[in-house]
Amino acid sequence: MIKLAVRGVLAHKVRLAMTTVAIVLGVAFVAGTYVFTDSVKQSFDTLFTDVSSGVDFYVRGVSEFGSQPPRIPDTLASRVAAVPGVAVAAPSVEGIAQLIDKNGDPIGGSGPPTLGFSWSEADEGISLTRLRDGAWPVGPDMIAIDAVSADANDLHVGDSIEVIVPVGVERFTISGIATFGDAGNLMGATLAIFDLPTAQRVFQSEGEVSSISVVLSSGVSPTAVQALVSGMLPDTAEILSAQDQTNEWIAQVDEGVGFINTILLVLAGVAVFVGAFLIQNTFRIIVAQRTRELALLRAVGATARQVTAIVVIEAIVVGLVASAIGVAAGILIAMALKAAFSAFGFGIPTSSLIVASRTIVVGFIVGVGVTLVAALVPARKAAMVPPVAALRDVENPPRSLGRRIASGAAVTGAGLVMLAVGLLANLGNAVALVGFGALVTFVGVSLLAPLVAREFARFAGAPIARWRGVTGRLAQENAMRRPRRTASTASALMIGVALVTVIAVFSASTKSGVSAALRRTFANDFQVSISGFGDPTASGLPPALTEQLRQLPELETVVRDRFGIFRFAGSDADSFLLGVDGDYSQVANINTVAGEVQQLGPGTALIANADAERLGVGVGDVVTVQVPSGSSLYLRLVGIYDEPAIGVPLLIDLHTYEYYQTLRLDRFIYIDVKPGVDLAAARAAITAVTDRYPNAKVTDTNELIADYEKQISTVLNLVVVLLGFAVIIALLGIVNTLALSISERRHEIGLLRAVGMNRRQVRQMIRWEAVLIAVFGGVLGLVVGLVLGSAVVVAIGQGLQLSFPVGQLVVYLVAAGVGGVLAAVIPARRGARLDILDAIAYE
Amino acid sequence: MNTDTAAARVENATKIYGSGATTVTALDDLTLAFERGRFTAIMGPSGSGKSTLLHCIAGLDDLTAGATFIGDVRLGELKDKELTLLRREKVGFIFQSFNLIPTLDAAENITLPVDIAGRDADGAWFDQVVSTVGLGDRLRHRPAELSGGQQQRVAAARALVSRPEIIFADEPSGNLDSKSGAELLGFMRQAVDQFGQTIVMVTHDPNAAAYADRVVFLADGRYSGELADPSAIEILEHLKSMGE
Repeated sequence: MIKLAVRGVLAHKVRLAMTTVAIVLGVAFVAGTYVFTDSVKQSFDTLFTDVSSGVDFYVRGVSEFGSQPPRIPDTLASRVAAVPGVAVAAPSVEGIAQLIDKNGDPIGGSGPPTLGFSWSEADEGISLTRLRDGAWPVGPDMIAIDAVSADANDLHVGDSIEVIVPVGVERFTISGIATFGDAGNLMGATLAIFDLPTAQRVFQSEGEVSSISVVLSSGVSPTAVQALVSGMLPDTAEILSAQDQTNEWIAQVDEGVGFINTILLVLAGVAVFVGAFLIQNTFRIIVAQRTRELALLRAVGATARQVTAIVVIEAIVVGLVASAIGVAAGILIAMALKAAFSAFGFGIPTSSLIVASRTIVVGFIVGVGVTLVAALVPARKAAMVPPVAALRDVENPPRSLGRRIASGAAVTGAGLVMLAVGLLANLGNAVALVGFGALVTFVGVSLLAPLVAREFARFAGAPIARWRGVTGRLAQENAMRRPRRTASTASALMIGVALVTVIAVFSASTKSGVSAALRRTFANDFQVSISGFGDPTASGLPPALTEQLRQLPELETVVRDRFGIFRFAGSDADSFLLGVDGDYSQVANINTVAGEVQQLGPGTALIANADAERLGVGVGDVVTVQVPSGSSLYLRLVGIYDEPAIGVPLLIDLHTYEYYQTLRLDRFIYIDVKPGVDLAAARAAITAVTDRYPNAKVTDTNELIADYEKQISTVLNLVVVLLGFAVIIALLGIVNTLALSISERRHEIGLLRAVGMNRRQVRQMIRWEAVLIAVFGGVLGLVVGLVLGSAVVVAIGQGLQLSFPVGQLVVYLVAAGVGGVLAAVIPARRGARLDILDAIAYE
Repeated sequence: MNTDTAAARVENATKIYGSGATTVTALDDLTLAFERGRFTAIMGPSGSGKSTLLHCIAGLDDLTAGATFIGDVRLGELKDKELTLLRREKVGFIFQSFNLIPTLDAAENITLPVDIAGRDADGAWFDQVVSTVGLGDRLRHRPAELSGGQQQRVAAARALVSRPEIIFADEPSGNLDSKSGAELLGFMRQAVDQFGQTIVMVTHDPNAAAYADRVVFLADGRYSGELADPSAIEILEHLKSMGE
């Protein structure tokens, strides 16, 4: 039995090869993702552990959540150093510093943070950073920067560089170039290193430090010294063991890597899912073409079960081979990913590639499992071949589609229910449920697709038949003759098109929602914000900028806000707030349900309507929130707003903000010009100020909207590009199906050639068939994508405005057709090259 | 023999298959012409080269040496494109099986060569052909819904409808029962008598060959005689004499 199956695989090498590609790609992505993320984690683990091995423990501000712990008095450092048994107590200040290149543009900052550190002699040997060139910075004008920033911008020791820090834009001289372990930087974060007094000044933390690294003298008992140090710390400071600090760093890296991990695994999942359709189709066709052979087996005594087993074993063999190739290819992908990350300036310490046994096991389970599942239906069908088919052609009567309607409708229904529950009910892992619901819906629609495939080809093929004559007519008929095959080939493409359609609908709806909200709310004249993407909890404009703008005689109102993190009392989820400096109501039309925006002052807050309802609070009530230091704030509510443009659940006043939040950078500055002042003149005055701040950008409301739209497009286009991968696999499926169909129709094509069809016409016929299949997949995808996309938009609701990017969708459909043409190139050439004599010599 | 009037001919045709020790000589320096407006049958035992001759003369296969002509056109000099055009314009085919495109109905199959050429079918001629083969009420049926005899009659109608210079038939009645076979051959005879069609048919069935004006016998790729207007019995006798 196994011998027969292996022979079967060998006999269909070429046909199976195409199928294998889909599995290889899917498995390669899974394996590549694991190898890459395992290697990255491993290299950081090694680095952090090395560093921490020199430090016994850290003293830092108490921090319950958030990325930047509150600072502690710097006098603690000398007091800790005086504790018996302490050899070194190295104080350190951290903050945010944006490097500026020679052209005056910000370096990095689009995504990864722009970090600032202090360095003092006590750090020697226990700092995460190492010196590559020059010397550590000493003195108020000196700075050391990371190697990636230096190399990418042609900066060297002795060069002068501008840096944006909370106190403004300052100029330093580069004293040294530093690395992070042996990596050029910390996964894309830029580094600016100052001496301790300079760091305290530029990060506005005179008299304060972020943490103290403690090294003990040899021979003393760590627990005893820790107890001594602990006893002298104020409530706002705590001890963190070296191990805990390492774990914290590792957790942060894991979080970053985990994100990449998730994206790549989702992609791999899509690839595998699409691949499953291809495999199913290939096995179905191979079984159909081997009807005689299978029937002969039955005739000479093989049981139905044995025939099934042959096909199943074939699937396992194919799955095993494909998985092995896939795992190997995955290692290559991991290497390519690492190279790509370095090329884009994301420093990763070197380490060998980690191929964990988990990677191999998961790769094989995915590869073999998917192949097996996909081959099950064709395998069962093989068992139904009657022995008499060995002797004569038995036309399989097309099975009634009734059962298919029922099962297809049931599966589609189940998928839609899962989607609805995931989107509407408030569940923990809604995303997983929505994703799974989408998958089930795809399967359901693919079951239903054969019902409409014939009608679709008849309808869409009619103009081709009219235009292209008999070649078009034959293409139309060929697309119609095996609705199941056409449908299942098209379904693979449907998935890719549906996903990009969901993204397109989501993108368009987000844009129109954002633009409507901004247009209505921010009717002010100008805004100033940082250019590019920046993590709002770790980037912003120096406050000095606002102060300078407020000096301008042309401006009536200048209001700024800052971004902060908090938690509602009793909640474990991080929420965000804005600290507002000035009267928001003068620069924004904030829709209030109760109270007034002007009432905002120290100790008070405005809350979003949804959160007010959830908490059951109203104006005058006190809402309890937690800030990162662990303190509880009791804020009296002065208003409730229902305003999508605000985007956060809580507004507080800047005094409250500065007391409890560590970020000293402004997020947004809203400006209204004095009545009677020419807008262009006012803008010139503003720009004269902001030009001194290279990361500041002036916009009016229309430009602001355009900026947001561009950002949304950038992110979502990236996703579309990644999903293009699924589309390519689906097109491979069309290639495969066409190639198999053509070898099945050898005689027919030979006959057409004999009665005078030339090669070009044969190619044309095959090409149009491919276009019909592809466009069918495209249309199915658009329909499913529009339904899913609309459902997602409606379910999210807040801030989105359902909108359909018709032009973009038409482009997708045309692209699907063009994809069909491309998929047909090789099969069409093969079809046209068929030897007429071979094709007509039947017996 | 006046070769100018021949619808098709071969001169010193040699066809060798394979190479080295396994070569098979299918045609051996054969020279033969087929006159216009006549029904010629080619007979011979298995391996005599009759099918190879048909394939080569119809432009489906090429010779190892020698020349084939359809009318005055020498096939060996033609590129695939020109050869395709020649088949489309001047040649009709009836094969033993697999004559029809399953996705097209009978009428579409009949007009297939004309459609491929992008021309309009001659309506009156089409009607005449269809009524002669007796398919009037089955025109909108697909091949799967037609009997074997009906399918072959559709194939014959297709071969006729483009008014080719010559029709090649390869065992056209080979898969048919005797009644359907007789109907088909009768129709082919009629096409020659009424429309002046030239037909060359390969067969191993003396009863089928008896419908022809001339029966040419091949053996080992060589000409081995012919009979004019023979009866089935005469043909059988000749075949027996060849066997000795």
